[in-house]
Amino acid sequence: MSAETVMTRNPLRDTTVRFEHVTKSFAGTPVLRDIDLVVDGGTTCVIGPSGSGKSTLLRCTNLLERPDSGRVVIGTDVITEPKADVDRIRARVGMVFQRFHLFPHYSVLDNVTLALRQVRRIGRDEAVKIARTRLDSVGLTAFADRRPSQLSGGQQQRVAIARALAMDPEVMLFDEATSALDPELVKGVLAVMRDLASAGMTMIVVTHEMRFAREVANQVAFLDHGRLLETAPPEQFFDAPRSERLRAFLNEVL
Amino acid sequence: MMSQFWNTFFNWPMILQTLPELLRVGLLNTVLLAVLASVIGVIIGLVVAAGLLSVGRWVRLPSRIYVDILRGLPHILSIYLIGQGLPLAGLTVFGTWTYGYAALAIGLVEAAYTAEIFRSGFQSVDTGIVEAARSLGLSHYQTFRLIVFPVGLRRILPALTGQFILVIKSTALVYLLGLSTGQREMFAIAQDGAVNNASLAPLVAAGLLYLALTIPLTYVVNVWDRRMREGRPVRATEVPV
Repeated sequence: MSAETVMTRNPLRDTTVRFEHVTKSFAGTPVLRDIDLVVDGGTTCVIGPSGSGKSTLLRCTNLLERPDSGRVVIGTDVITEPKADVDRIRARVGMVFQRFHLFPHYSVLDNVTLALRQVRRIGRDEAVKIARTRLDSVGLTAFADRRPSQLSGGQQQRVAIARALAMDPEVMLFDEATSALDPELVKGVLAVMRDLASAGMTMIVVTHEMRFAREVANQVAFLDHGRLLETAPPEQFFDAPRSERLRAFLNEVL
Repeated sequence: MMSQFWNTFFNWPMILQTLPELLRVGLLNTVLLAVLASVIGVIIGLVVAAGLLSVGRWVRLPSRIYVDILRGLPHILSIYLIGQGLPLAGLTVFGTWTYGYAALAIGLVEAAYTAEIFRSGFQSVDTGIVEAARSLGLSHYQTFRLIVFPVGLRRILPALTGQFILVIKSTALVYLLGLSTGQREMFAIAQDGAVNNASLAPLVAAGLLYLALTIPLTYVVNVWDRRMREGRPVRATEVPV
């Protein structure tokens, strides 16, 4: 599976995602505190201890959570604007979840064609063609007619990636995409993500896979207690962390 | 003594005498009433369920009140008030067609129960797949129609079928609305037979027919329920990337 097969089109659009003073609380508990982060194309990995706000930050990107204040800008669209066409912007931002969240009542193929047909309004034949290409790129063409429940976790996650990619997104969000997988299935999913990164997709990856972050990311961000403590290229991030907190965290996970 | 007991309930000549009319008129009307009432109950129940799940307080509140009242009253009272009350109050939507008022009365009561069933079904749908749908750009309505509704419906099919069994039994209550001879459901026919012959045997005959309807359905529900609970575990082999 090469980079070319994952990205049938080669957009290299380098869409920029910008978080400006993003703040979010749940029931009075601050989860994100004044986050400023620029994802200028390429892959940004977000790491940090559990409960640090990583997933919430990711979910603020496509407004699955609405920030209490601050702005999120995707390309030229301010998704946090009250008048923003959120559905239209979401269609350009793919998201992959920790627990896959495939639609259980649809076949693998229908999972991938659903948004193409309903959101993009593409005809059935064309949608199936696109879906098959995407399934092929994650190595699952043979499973097109299966139900999600008949697939292993790793396969389900790759279908979820194909489902997001079918919409030809400018940005991909990964929310601990390998955390729910058995160890032997992690590699296949990470391989697909690597291919995407090297094809130039703008990606925000919340992950515990430090090796992936070091090898694939252009930028690594460290969140702790809702604060963005450090943002740096991977070499500097892992080899010369500036903050004491990040040093302590890396000591524990590496 | 023993034969007196036996004859009170199982007077076979009397039972056999009642059966033809029960089968020819009563069974058909019972099933037809149950189906009509269920259709009304499902349609209105869906609307009320949508109200119960609404974010708008002024939609949610009346839906809640509707459900609480109709689930809180004895069915016989609701059916009397609706079935007799509507035509008396001048709302003669069905003219003099008592059957229509009867079906509507049961249907409105059932709607309160089906609304709660629908609500619980839709609420049980994993928020994860809802978020996945929204993240793909599907609208709120598309997500409901394509994801929440079909997934939730599958989960509540046993409960809805169980509710249908209750509707079949509820149809017995409409006899007090005074149906014409040809409109009588099984209980009304049995009741008339019991009064005319001073015997409970016609009621036993009707009871046997009710059981013939409800017991198989109960088993369908049980099997269905068990199958849903157990799922069908199929493990596919992982293909190498």
